[in-house]
Amino acid sequence: MFGSDPTSAGTLLAAGVTSAAVSLWLLLPRGTQSPASMRLGTVLGLLALAAFVATGQRLGSIGEEAVFLIVSLVAVVAGAATIVTRSPVYSAIWFALALAGVAGVLLVLGAQFLGVATIVVYAGAILVMFLFVLMLAQPSGMAPYDRVSSEPLLSAVAGAVLLGLLTLSIGRLTAEPAACCNTPSRAAAMADAAPVAPAAADVAKADRMESDQVARLGAELFGRHLLAVEVAGVLLLASLVGAIAVVSRGEAAAASEGRFSR
Amino acid sequence: MSDFLPSPLTLAALVKIGLLVGGLMTAAAYLVLLERWIAAWVQDRRGPNRVGIPFTKISLFGLGQPLADGLKIILKEDFTPKHVDKILYNAAPLVILAASLAIFAAIPFGSVLPPLNIPGLPDPVPFLVAPGLDVGVLWVFALSSIAVYGVLLGGWASNNKYGFLGGLRSSAQLVAYEIPLGLGLLGVVLAAGSLKLDAIMNAQAESGVWYCMAQPLGFLVFFVASFAEAARLPFDLPEAEQELVGGYHTEYSGIRLLLFLVSEFLHMITAAFLIVIMFLGGWHFWGITGSSQQITWLEALLRFGILSAKILAVIVFFMLVRWSWPRFRFDQLMNLAWKVMLPLGLANLVTVAAVEEFRPQFTEALGATTAGWLAIAVPWVVFFVGWILAGILTPSGTDNRPIRAHDPLDIERGIREHDLAETELAGTR
Repeated sequence: MFGSDPTSAGTLLAAGVTSAAVSLWLLLPRGTQSPASMRLGTVLGLLALAAFVATGQRLGSIGEEAVFLIVSLVAVVAGAATIVTRSPVYSAIWFALALAGVAGVLLVLGAQFLGVATIVVYAGAILVMFLFVLMLAQPSGMAPYDRVSSEPLLSAVAGAVLLGLLTLSIGRLTAEPAACCNTPSRAAAMADAAPVAPAAADVAKADRMESDQVARLGAELFGRHLLAVEVAGVLLLASLVGAIAVVSRGEAAAASEGRFSR
Repeated sequence: MSDFLPSPLTLAALVKIGLLVGGLMTAAAYLVLLERWIAAWVQDRRGPNRVGIPFTKISLFGLGQPLADGLKIILKEDFTPKHVDKILYNAAPLVILAASLAIFAAIPFGSVLPPLNIPGLPDPVPFLVAPGLDVGVLWVFALSSIAVYGVLLGGWASNNKYGFLGGLRSSAQLVAYEIPLGLGLLGVVLAAGSLKLDAIMNAQAESGVWYCMAQPLGFLVFFVASFAEAARLPFDLPEAEQELVGGYHTEYSGIRLLLFLVSEFLHMITAAFLIVIMFLGGWHFWGITGSSQQITWLEALLRFGILSAKILAVIVFFMLVRWSWPRFRFDQLMNLAWKVMLPLGLANLVTVAAVEEFRPQFTEALGATTAGWLAIAVPWVVFFVGWILAGILTPSGTDNRPIRAHDPLDIERGIREHDLAETELAGTR
């Protein structure tokens, strides 16, 4: 909670963002790294996490709070590990864990469809394809571009600035009422989970758990956003057809060269 | 009620989780025994029939066998080869087991209990761990796609070419058959209008028409795809140890191998649950169970019993198929998924969508009975047409004979080609 003293909260946030940036800069893979700097980076990262937990808002009950903290910490730590790890397979696994954490956050906040769809689409389909390619392409050793990150300083600073700005603006937006959810971009998915007064929180929660979320989301998607959905569908179909065309042209070329006599 | 004490709702969920996990693990152990009995019966020999109560001579038809099997595999040496990637090697069996157990959070194992009147616990209590989950079918789908990670990582972390190839092969199979599985699911979701599995059962109970009758093509596609997802014969390439040196679990032994095998069995149980719930009416049976949510204890038990009996019947069918059908070759497996099952699944989806779209108009024009029969007849026509078309257009990949460039009886041509090759060879020398 942005407590009684807003300046201390601001200081805490600034300290958290700075230490996150320094920690990332220290941890990002480079040619040579001393174990001491890695250790310092880890400690700073943990401090940054603690600062962010301290500035965050509290949810309703203790159980909900604990689950939310666990899944969000898993998401953040796994996300950092994704870019810090050198082995591409481990990176992919960390990314999968980060997605699981994000799905957990969405489930805790009541956006069930988005949470489960994140797992189905990203973890279940896209990342499995990534893993396939990584495992097939690199059976031994790591390529040089996996061992060195190209712009550690710039990326760490840019990430930290973005993080700080987003936290500040979202904190401003939701500082007034004790809102249950602070992700406005997901508002479409949980139209019924709008900020409510603490007294009405139980009613809202019951409503959130029992109402037809998927039906509402579907009505929203195929009502207001029909055009966007259709355009996205056509785009995907076009890319699918294009991929098949590329593959079949390659096969035809190979057949004309007589490599496949079938 | 204090914040620190668990609420009755949480307690009820914990009790259900305990019952479900305990029941599933026991069921898996005894289904292994049943599988060995059925194997023995099919192969005309005696199955395991000696182990009974320990340290006595009483052999209860071999009912002590699961205990002995479990002790044997747990006490075996848990050998970790030197060349493996330790972290992922240890994580893979845990991932696959956790995913296959967590699936059951969204799968109902009965109907509802009669009113209990416990304060803080809304009546009626459903036989379902997470009744608030609005996206049950998607949850099942998501976690079954997480199970692919266990296969892929187990194969990769083993750092053994047989294990690695096995992992790639099985995960390709699982990914390919997820698509027809999803298409089969979608037809049922469209017809029932809900993603909740208990709502799907209720819809079948209310209309009295099981979805295997209303969507025969979807049933076929889903049934075949769930065989492949559970890696049962004829899709059991993951564990073809005679021909393919096993698969992703080649390097595993002892308790970790047990975790893989248990989760494969759990996948079969999950598949049986889904087939029964989505296509065979769930707990509904004409004239025995009512269809309302206001029920007595007798009805609640009857519904639970009927659901369990149906699931057991499907599992026995799984086991009988295992000894009646040869294994597919890998290209045949992929051809079946992409060139037969996918188009059939799409045809089913379009048919169901059309039937559901025009049902209100036909009900208005022809009356409810005629429209209902029409809604069953149209999918059956599509089913037979689709079956025949798939039979005619089946890709030649399912043909096992060696591919010849010309007629084997055309001896003249053979001799000619042979001579040509000889002269070419002589030219290069």
